[in-house]
Amino acid sequence: MNRSSPPSFESRWLAEAVRQRERASGRLSDREAMRRARVCAHSAETRIIARAELLGEESGLAAALQTWRARIRAAAALSGVLAFLAGVGAALAAAGDGVRAINVVWALGALLGVHLVMLVLWAGGFALSGGGSLGVGALWNWLARRLAGDAVEAASAFAGLHARAGLVRWWLATVTHGIWSAALVGALVGLLATFLLRDHAFMWETTLLPAEFFVGFVAAAGWLPAKLGFAVPDAAAVAASGGAPFAQEAARQAWASWLLGCVVVYGLVPRLVLWVGCALRLSRGRAELRLDTTLPGFAALADELAPGSERMGVTDAAPARIEIGRIEGAVRFADAAAAVAIELRPEVAWPPDWLGAVRDLGVADSRAQRARALSELGAAPVRRLLIACDARLSPDRGSLALIADLSRRAGETCVWLVGVDAADAERVQRWHESLGQIGFADAAVFGADSQAGAWVTGEDHG
Amino acid sequence: MADPRRPVRIAVVGHTNTGKTSLLRTLARDTGFGEVSSRPSTTRHVEGVRLLADGEVLVELFDTPGMEDPIALLEVLEAIAAPQGERLDGPARIERFLDGEPARRRFEQEAKVLRQMLASDAGFYVVDARDPVLAKHRDELAILAACAVPLLPVLNFVRSAEADESAWREALSRLGLHAVVRFDTVAPERDGERRLYEKLATLLDDYRPSLDRLIACRERESAERRADALRLVAALLVDVSAVRVSAPADDEQARPAVEALSDAVRAREQQCVDALLALYRFRSDDVDADELPLVEGRWEEDVFSPEALRAVGIKLGTGAAAGAAAGVGVDLMFGGLTLGAAAAIGALAGGGARAVMHYGDRLLGAVTGRRTLAVDDAILRLLALRELALVAALESRGHAATAPLRRDARVEQWREGALTKPLERARAHPEWSELLGEAEDADGRARAIDALASELSRMESQTQ
Repeated sequence: MNRSSPPSFESRWLAEAVRQRERASGRLSDREAMRRARVCAHSAETRIIARAELLGEESGLAAALQTWRARIRAAAALSGVLAFLAGVGAALAAAGDGVRAINVVWALGALLGVHLVMLVLWAGGFALSGGGSLGVGALWNWLARRLAGDAVEAASAFAGLHARAGLVRWWLATVTHGIWSAALVGALVGLLATFLLRDHAFMWETTLLPAEFFVGFVAAAGWLPAKLGFAVPDAAAVAASGGAPFAQEAARQAWASWLLGCVVVYGLVPRLVLWVGCALRLSRGRAELRLDTTLPGFAALADELAPGSERMGVTDAAPARIEIGRIEGAVRFADAAAAVAIELRPEVAWPPDWLGAVRDLGVADSRAQRARALSELGAAPVRRLLIACDARLSPDRGSLALIADLSRRAGETCVWLVGVDAADAERVQRWHESLGQIGFADAAVFGADSQAGAWVTGEDHG
Repeated sequence: MADPRRPVRIAVVGHTNTGKTSLLRTLARDTGFGEVSSRPSTTRHVEGVRLLADGEVLVELFDTPGMEDPIALLEVLEAIAAPQGERLDGPARIERFLDGEPARRRFEQEAKVLRQMLASDAGFYVVDARDPVLAKHRDELAILAACAVPLLPVLNFVRSAEADESAWREALSRLGLHAVVRFDTVAPERDGERRLYEKLATLLDDYRPSLDRLIACRERESAERRADALRLVAALLVDVSAVRVSAPADDEQARPAVEALSDAVRAREQQCVDALLALYRFRSDDVDADELPLVEGRWEEDVFSPEALRAVGIKLGTGAAAGAAAGVGVDLMFGGLTLGAAAAIGALAGGGARAVMHYGDRLLGAVTGRRTLAVDDAILRLLALRELALVAALESRGHAATAPLRRDARVEQWREGALTKPLERARAHPEWSELLGEAEDADGRARAIDALASELSRMESQTQ
């Protein structure tokens, strides 16, 4: 099998965009694209994609997709930069200008509070509603649609493809965590800068809480960062920082390290991990994504492009005409009647009891039986011949030929269709038509045995 | 001789009017192939069709004219004299016949069959099992046997009450044809195709790999098609169960909104039916379409008609649907909790926060003098039943579908009790519905459809 490189997510996206455009404004002229798609590897999806790639170039959709994608990337980069700057700003605001001592717990809340609340909301939304987007994600979704401009199909195809594969939540999560990561990197950079270049003092304040609370909180929050090598102020230093900054140099460095450690461990690391995780899940999802070839628009194409069978056309033409004998009466015959049966079902008894004095030629099925019936009748032609046929069978050329042969050995021939009541109306109709073709009048074909009996025994003539 | 790299060639032969072309149509899944009618000798030419699996041609089937005069033909064949007292074997005799005058005149049609047989690797001998075994059939088989090509009798119309399968089997085995397969061309059994190809593989060992691949491919396709069909039905049900429309509280003023909603439901059902027919490559003008519970590709009874509901024994939630078309329920918080009750309970069961918002809407509605329209459970039940019955009918190409919706296991499942969970969940999510325009939450809709489709698949497997 010829297998070129497997189609990428982009090409499937283009195919979906082409589908949406064709749904909206009718099928594009695709004669050439169809022809070229048909020579691709045989799978409905590959061929639909190949067709879309050709049509996408012509119709400008491929370019529109690239434009939208470039806009989205620019928007993402811009958002990242803005978030970074916002992070730096938040860090500088939290740290203050160095004149006042930093209120450590307050600063930590300012740096991580919103992030943690949004993270919990995101996790809750993700787990409960399965991806209802809040905050950054919702904003991003809105923005992505606004950026579409004239490339409406690009955006809605992107959304549709992701939605059907259940990837929207991962896409929005990737963006959300990416932007938050940028903001937290900004915060970290801002903190580092201010700690490196300014002289900060650290303290905590409280109206209600005991000092032990702060000692415990600092130790607990610092436990995890400490594993990564960040310093944690010891209990004495924490206690000494209550209400007024503790001037000892080592304690100040420990405070700065503790604050940085908390931002890294509780801010940046979870966001980065989630970002990478969601991005991996998204790219895996995109790689596994397949076009749904049963969607309206694709289904018809799939049938046209990759049928399970191909017609080969007529390989041996129908004969111009089929020779078929016609009935004709004998000239000389005895004033007698005879009856013969052709191909009756086994359950039909032959001869019927009303046959009486009528000569019974038996059943003429096999070659020998047929030959015997023909020769017996040929030796002594009769005035009236009744041929019984099974109405439930299909008339064929063989039985019609036999009927025609038999008719030449009798003055007059009629056909009795046995079992008309049990037979399919259409089959009975076929018998009438076929018998008509070889020369039987409608009146010479009986459906009821009483009619047939009356005719062959001569009772209808009194 | 046999070269497994080229496709298996199979001549489809048989007496006239036994369903040869129907067999090809079913195997090729091409309802437009050839011409089918109950008129004998409809096919007078030889026409081929290739069967592909993953783009590779594995089998070539040839539709042939019916044998019509085998008794006379056998006589002609047997009369062919060997030159200088040599002994003629079957194929040599047939070839001599094909060179002669009768093959171009009286037996031109039969000559086409024999020529195709000699050029094929095997033959399917299609039998109308409703016919008695007659002398002409025996002569026909004797002629075909002379071609010295493996012959697999295919018993058609075996489901008919008139069919006499044992008589045919006995007659065929007396002629040395012991491998026989049942295959109803109009309503094949679910694994009928598989057994057909497997039997064929026992006759054509060299081609077994290709036939095995064809079987695997066809089974994969049919599983995919079934999953797709259930997804189409699930999408319909999600759209209809999730939809909510705000309407004036006054009955008379609400009428246009009610009618618009009913029309949207009708159109959506038709869209689903069309998609299902297209999925199974059915054309509504097919001869076979008679086998479906449809009339010209549509359900005969309107989904909102009380008769349609009564036929399957579904009771309408409560009758008084604000003078509206039966079944478009009216959610009323005040002035009596009516048809909306079921929907509201569904919202509570599956909705969480959404349910609260839903009640908020209703309270707001009570203040502003508007109310919310939703489609009644009974209509959903009927839609589910009808479309699932259609899928079942399409899967077996009409088998058991000739009788209208019967009170079978599926009806039992859908008539009473709670609606299935994913469907009740959808009740609380108007943003999933695409009935009246694009869904606000396409992602949620997609997941709801997947969940419902797998639930439908589970429920359907219980009804069999």
